[in-house]
Amino acid sequence: MQSMREIKTRINATEKTSQITNAMHMVSAAKLKKAERSIKAFRPLTRRLSRVLSRVLNNDHTLSHAMLESREIDKVCYIIVSSDRGLAGPYNNNIFKAFEKHIKQHHQSHDEFEIAALGLKAFQFAKRKGYTMIHDDVIQVRDDTQYLDFQSISDSFIKGYLSGKFDRIVVFYNQFINTLSQEVKQETLVPLELNPLLNQDDDDDGSYDALYIYEPGAKQVLQTLLPMYVVNLLFGSILEAKASEHASRMTAMQSATDNAKDLIKDLQLQYNRARQDSITTELTDIIGGAEALN
Amino acid sequence: MKIVVITPSGELYNEEVDYVVISSKNNGDFAILNNHAPLISVIDVGYIKMVKENKVLFTVIINGTLEHQENVINVIAQEAHVGLNKDSAMQHLNDVRKERLEENRRRTQDFLKAERELKKNLKEAQASKR
Repeated sequence: MQSMREIKTRINATEKTSQITNAMHMVSAAKLKKAERSIKAFRPLTRRLSRVLSRVLNNDHTLSHAMLESREIDKVCYIIVSSDRGLAGPYNNNIFKAFEKHIKQHHQSHDEFEIAALGLKAFQFAKRKGYTMIHDDVIQVRDDTQYLDFQSISDSFIKGYLSGKFDRIVVFYNQFINTLSQEVKQETLVPLELNPLLNQDDDDDGSYDALYIYEPGAKQVLQTLLPMYVVNLLFGSILEAKASEHASRMTAMQSATDNAKDLIKDLQLQYNRARQDSITTELTDIIGGAEALN
Repeated sequence: MKIVVITPSGELYNEEVDYVVISSKNNGDFAILNNHAPLISVIDVGYIKMVKENKVLFTVIINGTLEHQENVINVIAQEAHVGLNKDSAMQHLNDVRKERLEENRRRTQDFLKAERELKKNLKEAQASKR
């Protein structure tokens, strides 16, 4: 059996760890609320933007754009949204596992795709696996994510697609379902499906067949609208991923704290036993000594 | 007429106005008055001048689109800022953007530096173990 002092040190150490995990749990809970708020604030923009887009497309069915047409797939660009820091339970691993499975099923060689890693963990993962990346620097996913943080990288996605460098852009991220469950989701950003876009008009005032004037022209408007829509879809998934990260970390830290408490309980029992043991030994010694004197 | 400005971080502006003037780099200036025909336009970099009873406000916009219909103007902007003066509002928006990008760059550098140090320390610790 371990000595009393050893057990006491372990109890102290475990207690300190549980304090830290408990603090992290509470920090994540606060950040999760914030992330949920930013998702909520972002929703009206997506809704309105898709409504405008749907009106433009409904207005003139002859309009076409490279982003709406699927072409033969030569090279795919995968965007992986991960976190910058660890200690978030299975959050990052789930994405990486799902991604590797997808790669195994759909690709024979590494030349068929390129990776865009958002977040430090994905960056390290892609480097370790030796995937080709479309950027050299780490792109951080900050807790206070802003649209601006991803502007340059999203521009390079759009440019890459329009110039024919990639023929499809797919994003992998954790979808936030609730605090306890997040699900890995893959979504094709471009080419866009035309039909759901056409039916996105949720206004029931029936005014959407109004004839619009386009300034400067329908084609130019669409050329700006579509990239904006795609970038917004991406930003939406980043926001979801951020909320999932906090939720995942929160759950992981909660169970860590619970485990620490159980451990302390066991150790305390061991400690009490060791103490009782030493008392008993001491007593037998004294009694033995007294008897020897008689 | 009403104007609603929406950005990724939520609704920025929602007010009644008399008329607006839209100015952008890609297609010049035009004004929308009451009962204008339905219109959709895009703004790369520009501003919207909003006038109500001789009071003037400017919303500077980077990457946005606007839709006018039945006297409601919906502006969707990636980035926007409302100010009393178009130059100062633009200046403010640019400053905020620059600061943020600079901060991101600094953070990445710090991160990489910390990472390198950690690697070095790990190496040293293992060397002493053997």
